[in-house]
Amino acid sequence: MPINIGIPRALLYHEFGSLWTAFFSKLGVPFTLSAETNTQILDHGTMLAIDESCLPLKIYLGHIASLLPKCTHIFAPRIAGYHNNFFLCAKFAGLPDIIRNTFSLADNQLIAPNIENKSQSTQLKAIYSICQTIGISKISGCLAYHQAKQTWKNHNSAPTHSNTQIAIIGHSYLLNDAFFCRDILTVLKKRNLTMITSEHIPSKVLYQQAAIFRPDIYWQLSAKLAGATRYFSQLSEIKGIIMVSSFGCGPDSLMNEYLEHHVLKNSNTPYLIINLDEHTGSAGIVTRVEAFLDLMNWRSES
Amino acid sequence: MNVTYPHMGYLTIPVYNMLSNLGIKVIEAPPITKRTVELGSLYSPESVCLPYKITMGNFIESIEKGADTLLTVCGSGKCRLGFYNTVQKIALAEKKPLQLHTINISENVLVNLYRLLRTLAPNASRVSIAQNIAMTLKTLKALDKINDAKNHYGALTEDADMIINTYHRGMQQLGNCHTFREINETCQHIIGDMDTATTVLAPPPVKIGLIGEFYLLLEPYVNHQLEDSLIKQGVEVKKFVYTGDWAYSQAILHTLGLYNEETSYLKEARPYLNYHVGGDGLKSVGNALWCAKNQFDGIIHIYPFSCMPEVVAQYALKNIARDYNIPILSLSIDEHASDVGITTRIEAFVDCLKRK
Repeated sequence: MPINIGIPRALLYHEFGSLWTAFFSKLGVPFTLSAETNTQILDHGTMLAIDESCLPLKIYLGHIASLLPKCTHIFAPRIAGYHNNFFLCAKFAGLPDIIRNTFSLADNQLIAPNIENKSQSTQLKAIYSICQTIGISKISGCLAYHQAKQTWKNHNSAPTHSNTQIAIIGHSYLLNDAFFCRDILTVLKKRNLTMITSEHIPSKVLYQQAAIFRPDIYWQLSAKLAGATRYFSQLSEIKGIIMVSSFGCGPDSLMNEYLEHHVLKNSNTPYLIINLDEHTGSAGIVTRVEAFLDLMNWRSES
Repeated sequence: MNVTYPHMGYLTIPVYNMLSNLGIKVIEAPPITKRTVELGSLYSPESVCLPYKITMGNFIESIEKGADTLLTVCGSGKCRLGFYNTVQKIALAEKKPLQLHTINISENVLVNLYRLLRTLAPNASRVSIAQNIAMTLKTLKALDKINDAKNHYGALTEDADMIINTYHRGMQQLGNCHTFREINETCQHIIGDMDTATTVLAPPPVKIGLIGEFYLLLEPYVNHQLEDSLIKQGVEVKKFVYTGDWAYSQAILHTLGLYNEETSYLKEARPYLNYHVGGDGLKSVGNALWCAKNQFDGIIHIYPFSCMPEVVAQYALKNIARDYNIPILSLSIDEHASDVGITTRIEAFVDCLKRK
């Protein structure tokens, strides 16, 4: 069977996806992206995962299960941190191990380079290990990575917002996954409200905004959320903020409290915190978002 | 200035002595009760892990008694512990103006502790601070020893309650010791008492390894007296986490660069877990694998509900259980866990192992 690398469209794919796909296409290695999240993927993932895992991890496992019959390799890097002084949460640090323990994979079937920090040597080692697993020259690997990184950097900065009214804040793997945010977006669209998410703001701006929370916050993705919250609460055109988090998310359980106290309560912007879980009844979410929008409107009218 | 700190097993015995010897006024939190848990949960985010809620309850109850300076630990890492103090401060500060001091336990514990004591007790001499820290470590090590002895003799004898009573008496006596020599003598004395009280000397039929999250393993109220209930059923318990052992290796060996918990457990946990995942995840897997390889009859894994590192460890544990054919009982504890529910499950588990 010719090489075909499976990339699950979940978790950190939504942070680094364009880098990964650019890298593999520059290398000329065929790869398959899993389909957009659907109920089947969710159900399969929920069945495979330990009950107490967070929702995005369950979905991630579902994506891998959907890729396994089609692909020779699965690409699942372990990223424990790639920004100085920040960590990613425990599930990212254990991601390849979780996969190995859940699926019975052959040793070389999992491409899991280890990114412990941002240093050049870590990146080089990661590239080496990828090339070794799929049997490709390391020099062309490095070249492809270099080129992919250039396009990724350029692609990654395009701030666009004008006349937006609602800001949605959440982890990239929730916001970019249509399955999670569909209901919220439908309600907003029905009301003709324009919206912006934390994903539309360049990371650099987010980290700058989050700088005042140092050294309290040590989770990298949470720092981005904190930066986004602060950024949006300062914009006058934003009439309301919706924070989306998922059941079982460790960092969010404390971060939401922290941000409420340090940012949201001090600003004048109304906010709503929504917790998602695998029980996908949309009525609950729709009702809450509608109620929130109603209150928001009354407030601005009075 | 009235200093307080959360409870964690017998850690508070020598800490109380250390602080009061240095002339610091200590208001100790009342022992953990149902009220502590309820109060703590009331003032905590809903989905945070149990140790957060209980330490919160401790703080609130000590503030009611008049405490205004809180001591707690922090440490950056992948787990939530490092963020506890930042968020706890928010809810507590609404009650009254408070000072919160944290000891960073991820590096240079000894230096951090020394600095903290200097600020809390500016009049105490450097020598007496150093002496008190040394006494604390020594007492903790002795407490570890009698705890271990309790588990050993308790499982052998028919009357485990008597051994447990001796243990509690021993803890009090060790708390009243003032010199290294006194500690050594008391410790020997207590263990001798346990030895003479032990009647049956047949080896216990069942050996169980106790693994999981640090706080839950060490605080008997929170783990529903897991150790005692096991030894009462005549089970030999192997523990891997001891307060004194941890404090000693973290404070002295780690500071000197002689010991690194991460690297030593990385080897043990392979091939089920190959990387550090924060908290005690790696340790749990390493210990479970050790138990599996050393012919243990079963493993009990106890952790707070939704604990991030332990959930990652769970993925590895279920495979260890399958590959080595060793039963693992997972106890995920939250503030709603009831004594009866836990006890029933433990009893059923032990019964199954005995029959096997």
